[in-house]
This record gives sequence, C-alpha cells and structure tokens, in this order.
Amino acid sequence: MTQSIGSARLDRRGLLRGSLATAALAGLGGTLAGCATSGGGQTKQETGTKSADNPFGVPDGSTIDAVIFNGGYGYDYVQFAADQLKKKLPKVTPKVTPSTQIAQELQPRFAGGDPPDLIDNSGAGAMTFNSIQDQLEDLRDVFEANNYEGTKISDTLFPGAMEAGTFGGKVLEVNYVLSLYAIWYSASLFKENGWSVPQTWDEVLDLGAKAKAKGKYLWVWGKEAATYYQTLAMQSATKAAGDDFRLPLENLKPKSWSHPAIQKVFKALETCVQKGYFKPGGAGTQFTKAQAQWSNDQAALLYPSGAWIENEMKDQTKEGFEMTGAPVPVSSTSGEAMPYNAIYSTAGEPFIVPKGKNPAGGKELLRAMLSKEASANFAKTKLAPTIVKGGIPDDAFGSTALASQVKMLNDAGSNTFRFTTIGIYGMNTDQLVVWNNFLSGKIDAKGLTDGLQKIMDKVANDSSVKKTKAT
Amino acid sequence: MSTSAQATRATAPGTTPRRRRRRWTFDKISFMAVFLGVPLIIYVVFVISPFIQSVYYSLTDWGGFSTTMNFVGLANFKALLTDDLFLTALRNNIILLIVLPVFTIVVALIFASLVTVAGSNRGSVRGLHNSSFYRVVSFFPYVIPGVVIGLIWAQVYDPSSGLLNGVLTKIGLDQFQSYPWIGDERTALAASIFAMAWGGIGFYMVLFIAAIRGIEPELFEAMRIDGAGRWKTAMHLTMPMIRDNIQTAYIYLGIAALDGFVFMQALNPTGGPNNSTLVMGQVLFRTAFEHGKYGLATAMGVALSIVTLAFSALVFLVNRLLGAERDVAR
Repeated sequence: MTQSIGSARLDRRGLLRGSLATAALAGLGGTLAGCATSGGGQTKQETGTKSADNPFGVPDGSTIDAVIFNGGYGYDYVQFAADQLKKKLPKVTPKVTPSTQIAQELQPRFAGGDPPDLIDNSGAGAMTFNSIQDQLEDLRDVFEANNYEGTKISDTLFPGAMEAGTFGGKVLEVNYVLSLYAIWYSASLFKENGWSVPQTWDEVLDLGAKAKAKGKYLWVWGKEAATYYQTLAMQSATKAAGDDFRLPLENLKPKSWSHPAIQKVFKALETCVQKGYFKPGGAGTQFTKAQAQWSNDQAALLYPSGAWIENEMKDQTKEGFEMTGAPVPVSSTSGEAMPYNAIYSTAGEPFIVPKGKNPAGGKELLRAMLSKEASANFAKTKLAPTIVKGGIPDDAFGSTALASQVKMLNDAGSNTFRFTTIGIYGMNTDQLVVWNNFLSGKIDAKGLTDGLQKIMDKVANDSSVKKTKAT
Repeated sequence: MSTSAQATRATAPGTTPRRRRRRWTFDKISFMAVFLGVPLIIYVVFVISPFIQSVYYSLTDWGGFSTTMNFVGLANFKALLTDDLFLTALRNNIILLIVLPVFTIVVALIFASLVTVAGSNRGSVRGLHNSSFYRVVSFFPYVIPGVVIGLIWAQVYDPSSGLLNGVLTKIGLDQFQSYPWIGDERTALAASIFAMAWGGIGFYMVLFIAAIRGIEPELFEAMRIDGAGRWKTAMHLTMPMIRDNIQTAYIYLGIAALDGFVFMQALNPTGGPNNSTLVMGQVLFRTAFEHGKYGLATAMGVALSIVTLAFSALVFLVNRLLGAERDVAR
C-alpha cells in the first residue's frame, strides 16, 4: 500500500477522516452523558382491582409477557396454562414466547428497564441468578393464594417446593418441575446378566470388574457434562456427613472440598478411572453422544444424572432398555448421617417474575400453571412430575423411569436433601475443566480437590460477587 | 490506493492547485446528504457510539441487568492482568495468531501456484491439468458457515465414532482407538487450528490466484528461460509480486485468529482440556453471560480491540522493514 498521499492539500480522504473524527468527538460528549442504559428510570406498573378470581389484581386489557425456555420440556405447557387463564380473565392477553438463549435475549430488556412479566430462567444460557436477584418480585403471595380449584396453593405442593425458590428469606423463584438425582441403569440389561445395583462404592468397584469381563465400561461421560460426577460425589458425601459437609461447601468455605466424606468418594472415583471403568475419550465427546453410548449402545452400565435424562434421551434409547433410577452409592450403608435411600430431590425450571410492567399478570399465569389441570397436563405430556402433588397415576404412563422416580421419592420419605447456593455463582464452566482432566486420568483425586478449591476460593475472595447464605 | 497517489502526483510542485469557490446547489447538497451524511450518521450511531460506550462501561462495575453502575476507573483492566483464565486465553490467541495465518497462507500459496503457474514445463506457463476443478473444490469449505465447520469437525474428531479415528484404526494404528483429538491437551489446539484453516484456505487460494494472474506471464517465461525451477519461481517472483495480497491476507487471518470464537465455541464450548483452546472471546462471553460481570467483560472487549489494532500496526511495520517499497511493482 503506497502511502505517499499529498500532505499540503486537504484531499477527499482527509476530509472524510476529519469529519469522522469530529463526529466521534461529538458522539463522545453526547453518549458519555447519558449511556445506553439510560432507558432506566422507574417502570410504570399497571394495577387493577383484586378479587377472588383475580387475587393479584391483573389490570383489565393488560398483556402478560412470558418468555419461556424452550428446552427439554418445550413451552407448550405454559401456553396450556395461558389458555386456562384466558378463560378465567377474558380481558387479559397472555403472550407466551419461547427462547433458547434467555440471558442473551433478555439482558438488554433488563438493562433497558423493560423485562418480561414471567420468565422460565433455565437452560445453558440462563441468566446468572446473582445478577438479577435484586430485581425480582417476592412470590410468597402466589403460594398463599388459592388455586383454580379453590385450595390454597401451598397445601397442594410437595414438601420443600417453596423452599427451593427461597433466597435470603424471600421467595424469588417458583421451581415448577419436581426433579431428583440418581444413578440410572437399564433394568433389562442388569436382569439379563444377574447384576444388582451397587449401593456402596465397594460394590461399584465390583460391578466395574464384572462389566470389564463383559467388555463393557461402568461409567461414561461427555465433555460438557463432566460435572455430573461432581453432583454425584456431592450427594454421596452429603448422605455420609449431612450438613457438616454441605453447608461449608455451599457457603464457599476454604478447604470444603477436603472434607473426609467427599474425599472418600473422590478416591473411589479415582480407582474407577485408574482401573479403566470409565469409557475413554469422554473429554472429547459431546455429552448427548456420550449419553447415547450408555442408553443406545449400552457400552457403559451406569450414568449419574437428573430425572430429565429419560426425556432428553427419548429418541436415542434402545428398545426395551427399561431405564430405571436408584439412589447414589454411599461409602457404607450404616452409620452415616442419612440412610442409603435418601435422595437429592429438588424442584427445577425456575420461574421468576421481575419487577416490570405487569408483575400481577406474571403471578396470575403462575397460578394458572399450578392448577390441578395444568400440572396434570404437564405430567402427562412431559413424563415428569410437577411440584403439585398427585398428577401421576400408578402405571406412571408406562414409563419405568417415572415409576422409579415415584418409588425413590416414597422410599426416601423425609430423607431428602438439596443443594441451594452452590449453583448460583457460575462456577460450572471452570469446574468442567478440572473434572474432564480428572476423568481422563490426567490428574488424581488430590489434583481434583486442589483444582475445585481454587475455583471456589476465587469466587469466595471476589468482593464483586454477591454471596447468598445457604441454609 | 494507487488512484489517490496518482492524483497527488498530478498536482506536482509548480502547478498551483485549482481553488475555485464552488456554489452549493441543491444537487450538490442532496448528493452529499445522501452519500456522505447518511452513511456517516449510520457509522456514528452504530459503530462509533457503541465503541465509546464500551470504553465507558469498561471503567464501571456494571452487572448488565440493572440500570445502575459505579465508576471504578482502571480496576477492571488491572483485574484482567492478574486473571489466570484471561491470560491463558490471551496466550492461546497469540499462538493462533502466529500459527493460523502462516499455515493457511503457506498452504493457500502452494495450491494457488499449483493451479496457476506450476503446471507442465512445456509450452506456455499454466497450472496443473484440470486446475479449474481443483479451484472450485477447494473453495467449497469457505461457503460453509464457521459454526457448521466447527460442528462437522467436532464429529470428525469424535473419539468413538469419528471419521478420523475410524480411518486411523482401520489402517492399523490402534493407539488411536477412542483418542480424544479435541479432548487431549496435546492435540486440542492443533486440531482446532486445522479445522479453522480448512475453512479458510479456499478463500485465500482464490485471492492469491487472482493476484498471480495479475502478474505479466512474460515474467514467468523469462524466469523459466533463465533456468529457474518451480521453487525459485515461487520464492523470487510470485511471492514478491503479490506481497500486498499476502499482507492483506495476514491481517485478515490475524483478526480471525484473534477472534476465533465461533470455531472454538462449536468445537469445544467448554474451553477444551485444561482450557487449551479457550480464546478471549469465550472468556468475554462467559464473564458477561454466565458471571454477570458486564463491566469486566467490556474491558476484555476493549483489550481485544487494542491487541487487534496493535497487531495490524505490527504487520504494516514488519512489511515495511522487510522492504515492501522496494518489491512492490506498482
């Protein structure tokens, strides 16, 4: 590029440059004064009169803007509830919009002071709860209101449903879907080979040897879901040591990954890795492909996951697989803080109502979703229980996985536990790196512990991250 | 570039430039409004002003979802310099910046030479037999969007059912049974770079072909008569003659390497084994959308643009130091 441009005369390009610079400077003055976020101010809230049919006072003629994560559960179940609401309040227009990238799509709306009235903040692209916490409505009155059948909503729910969305004394989320975590296996395959589901880590290792003899692996993992094994380990350790392990961990305390209860589990997993019970190559395998190696190829016996696994792998499950769940293994079936039957059960799919234009409308739509009819519709179409009790018949719509869920919930009784704040700091991506290294055999249990602790300490020491106390 | 240079030469010392006062007619004003004013406004509104806003946000602790923020000065930039993850990503970007352009340009140049001037030694200077077919085929990958290329190659590299391991085990290399190409630190970045280059080679090849066709064929003939082989021709004739194009290609590829987000996110959304394929764009994305630290993320964006500008300046400087003025034949 020859750059010997005449200097004395102002040529065309010089003029352009000059005017651009001027424009840039002019822009500087204007924009710095009032940035893009200036849309802010206070959003005007519409209000209407409250009545028995309209307990939150949704104004007539208003629109309810709902943005729903369109993932494993789709969004038609919210549309179903919206149609019910429309029957009750014909002058209100609910508008249900699907989204697969919640944070990217809604961040500008939050920043501009115009958030939707109801959001299903779920999926890989969900908004970090921490950064929106202060802008959410307290949803306690939804639980206090009557449902469409006239019963107080909190009386119709599984125990712990409201607590799952309670942060610092405020009910900020309604977690709609009841979910539990387990290890999943093919009942038919186990029966065929005379295997039984391992209850302790010693039995896990035994089963690993038997699987090897059959040319199969015990576990399989995918690169984006390596931390499912972290959830597995955390559950096993919580069953062993209870809150003595769980609370320091959830409150990001130093050395919480060094607790003897979790160390025992890490050691057991380390042995599995060393003995080659993990199908190699997981660090380079997309996670649903890895899951299909378990559910379709039956290359591995067990997979630790949440109850969504049945729905997620619906199209990639071998005929006659009989997917069944069992509580996660423990170090010893006696003398631990909780019995073997204890399960990590919690509600998922967090619905939130921002302090926006029509929060009453958002709450009303939630009330419609919590009606008997809407929740039964969800259970039937999605093969998963909602937090509303009694939506599932005895035959569990013919699903072995759903039937085993109901059984596990019944067996556990009051012995359920859950993790509350560990997931709200966005640590998962960093933890994946460490877990992929560990499961590939690149680092040992000590390396895993150090790696996880380092990630946790970084968040704990970062004063810009708002901490929520776990209870 | 050369038109303005000629225009300057035309008004060499001695001739006084015309300086007639022109009248502002409606034609002239409306022309300027449409062809100068409108683009300028669009540019200012959609390019300049977001840029300035970004610089401002990078000096705040904005969380992204609120309308309030505090001014924190250069704290975000200080935090970047001590952020392990960001520095890892910066290192990966710099490796990409060095390897990707060199690899792509060398391969593209070889292919371009083959289909233009490296054909038969007899008769006129021409490319290989059926060269137009190769030219079309090699351009195909460029037509595919980056994210699709990433997904395709993620499948090719799949440890259990991927094409690559399938071929390698078929020819008897059993150690590649379930070898995770993008899941092992030793190969992850190289494999990713290969996929990126695969997508880009076709375009740069076509660019170089056009440039080589612009060289007088007599020069190649003269070179051949003087007894130069293909290698000497490429090194001493082709390369110097298309120097400008190579420089442009280097800058384009360098900017692509500094970005790299699309490919890396499609190949390894989690940053790869031990973060070995993590690029700055991915850290930025995570910081903003997963950690809700938009101020810090914007600081990363500003840092990225500074690195990009510095890189372009460096390429210009190096090219000049290597004697660009001397070589360029125009």
